[in-house]
Amino acid sequence: MAKRIVLDLDLCCGCRSCEAACKAAYKGEARIRHGEIAGEAYLPLACKHCKDPLCVAACPVDAIKRDDETGLVIRSSLICIGCQSCAYACPFGVIDAPLVRHVSQKCNLCNDREDGPRCVAACSSGALQFLTEEEIEKHEIGMRMVSKNAFFRRKA
Amino acid sequence: MKKIDPTFTTVKKTVCPFCSFGCELGVVFDEFGVKGVEYIKEGSSEGRLCPRGSAAALYLNHPKRLSMPMKNGKVLEWSKLIKDLKKIIGAPKNVAVTFDRNITIEEYESIISFCNKTGIENIASTYFEPEIFLKKFLNKPFSLDEIDNAQMIIVLGDPFSQAPMISKALINWKLRDRKNRLVVIDTINSHTAGFANDFLKGTVGTEPILLFSLAQENIGNIDIPAITNIAESKITEISKSFKQAENGLIIVSLPFAHTYDPLLLTQGLVKLSTFSNKKVVPLVEFAGFEGNQYFGSIMSLVKKKKIKHLINFGELFPFYYAQVAKNLKALNIYSTSTIKYNGYTTIPAALNLEKEGTILTNFGKKKLDGNIKPPSGAKTISEILALFQEMSGKGKRLDMPELKINIKERAKKLVEKCTTPKTKKKKIFKLIGEKIAYNFLGFFEKEILKLNLHDAKELGIKQNDIISIKSKHGSIELAAKLTKDVEKGIVSIPAETPEVKSLFDFDIDNNIINFIPTEVEIWRRG
Repeated sequence: MAKRIVLDLDLCCGCRSCEAACKAAYKGEARIRHGEIAGEAYLPLACKHCKDPLCVAACPVDAIKRDDETGLVIRSSLICIGCQSCAYACPFGVIDAPLVRHVSQKCNLCNDREDGPRCVAACSSGALQFLTEEEIEKHEIGMRMVSKNAFFRRKA
Repeated sequence: MKKIDPTFTTVKKTVCPFCSFGCELGVVFDEFGVKGVEYIKEGSSEGRLCPRGSAAALYLNHPKRLSMPMKNGKVLEWSKLIKDLKKIIGAPKNVAVTFDRNITIEEYESIISFCNKTGIENIASTYFEPEIFLKKFLNKPFSLDEIDNAQMIIVLGDPFSQAPMISKALINWKLRDRKNRLVVIDTINSHTAGFANDFLKGTVGTEPILLFSLAQENIGNIDIPAITNIAESKITEISKSFKQAENGLIIVSLPFAHTYDPLLLTQGLVKLSTFSNKKVVPLVEFAGFEGNQYFGSIMSLVKKKKIKHLINFGELFPFYYAQVAKNLKALNIYSTSTIKYNGYTTIPAALNLEKEGTILTNFGKKKLDGNIKPPSGAKTISEILALFQEMSGKGKRLDMPELKINIKERAKKLVEKCTTPKTKKKKIFKLIGEKIAYNFLGFFEKEILKLNLHDAKELGIKQNDIISIKSKHGSIELAAKLTKDVEKGIVSIPAETPEVKSLFDFDIDNNIINFIPTEVEIWRRG
């Protein structure tokens, strides 16, 4: 069963452990970006591994491929020519345009690690979870605070 | 999913050395050496790590890792180093020994034994700031269940920045029951403050006064609402509720250079803890040891030319700060170190990650297995001390001299400091520090200066403008972040690097070195 990284905005405390874990594991190239929503809530962003990925369509050299079995969208470091097409095509902006080592930085859900992505393991508040599609549907995520009142966090 | 090849990959368990939380972590080795960090679910933080913990493996094979003793940038033979040190300790009255958190209990005992046998009497910890006092609250081990069981928690500072592993317990506790009440005392808006039922946003430096007021303690004739900017009725109501709460906690995560009087602040915590019968949980950078005197005494003796040599067991970083280095200029410093540094004689040492022994944490004592070997050439402190064969052994813990204070007198002085009139000629700001785990050693972007929107408008500063910030100790340039998080007249900066810390004033009061809110000028570059 394909699993995805899911963020519970209620729990994210903005510590950037996810980004540090990714950066430490991938030679200083973080594949998860840490943003803020208008200064009100934190929003770590990683690749969604889309069903019909635009980055795959945009890649001129077929360096990015989707594995239909696992649902993973994987980029090959060998084939990538660093043209940045994927970065511009991605509707979520999770592939960074300024390329490090002249290849795009693309989340692979830490497929070298048995227990799933390192960002999820490191997440200090438990905001990032690694769930199957079925689990995602059952889960109430971000339903307690942020979705009800976006200004909850900075009321001071 | 692709599996890790067990033939080449091993995970060695150790404990993160970067704060008092002491999270368990695994270091992954493959056939080429250190590969990264693994998350140990059985640990006290359930495998979760802050950015510092996640980056821990980078320190093990850091390109600047020291592997040979060095003097003024040149390699020094071990035999020559030991010969030099033996000569120095021949006149023990001229020598001081210091240490920091990066030592185990066993190493601490060896150091004390070394001092006893050599006759060295000047022994101090390199602790600065209020942390040296907060450490005493570590005597009672803490458990995350205590947060779950609490009805009311008072937080001083922002624990999400210092030890973010506490956030899961605190957020879930807050969300689980609407009746659970979180009170935050801080001078700037933090993420924790955003969650709070009550945010006591006091004036800079007035935290001790708020603590005494919450403990309903008489501290003399002080107009508390005027000085702290918090209504007295609010303080009284919180104080009563906290006392009545069956279970509660006082969590302390003090930012850098926020308080003028750490002794008064500690007394305030003791009073509030006694008044409410609630435990104080300190989240501190270090959970180490004490000497027989404060570091300030060593600095005074250096000034009087009574000490000529200093042997430091632990990291060199306290001596990086320009203000401290200036005071220690006359000293001949020998220090264990993990990275190369040309200023002093450096002795290659093992990181806590690589040691065997016992360390102190918020959760009590933890064992280090010592199954990660330091790089060739680096030694543990016990191994270094073993080179002085006749002096090794086990020494007893030292007691610090107890500091007694007149609370009313000090509170009055504190009020004067917090209300110093500003000069009208120039726009002067008060600079305070922040502790942000992810800014550790500049792992992410460079520091930014938080500036109030109105102040920025007055000075013509826009978002991300490069600005100069100048204190009497020096100046640096960095980007501006305009925000409502800081009040008018206050600027805030993540104080992690020596360059930033070197901007701050420090007080030596009762021989304790305390970094304080500092007056600075700022202007837009160009």
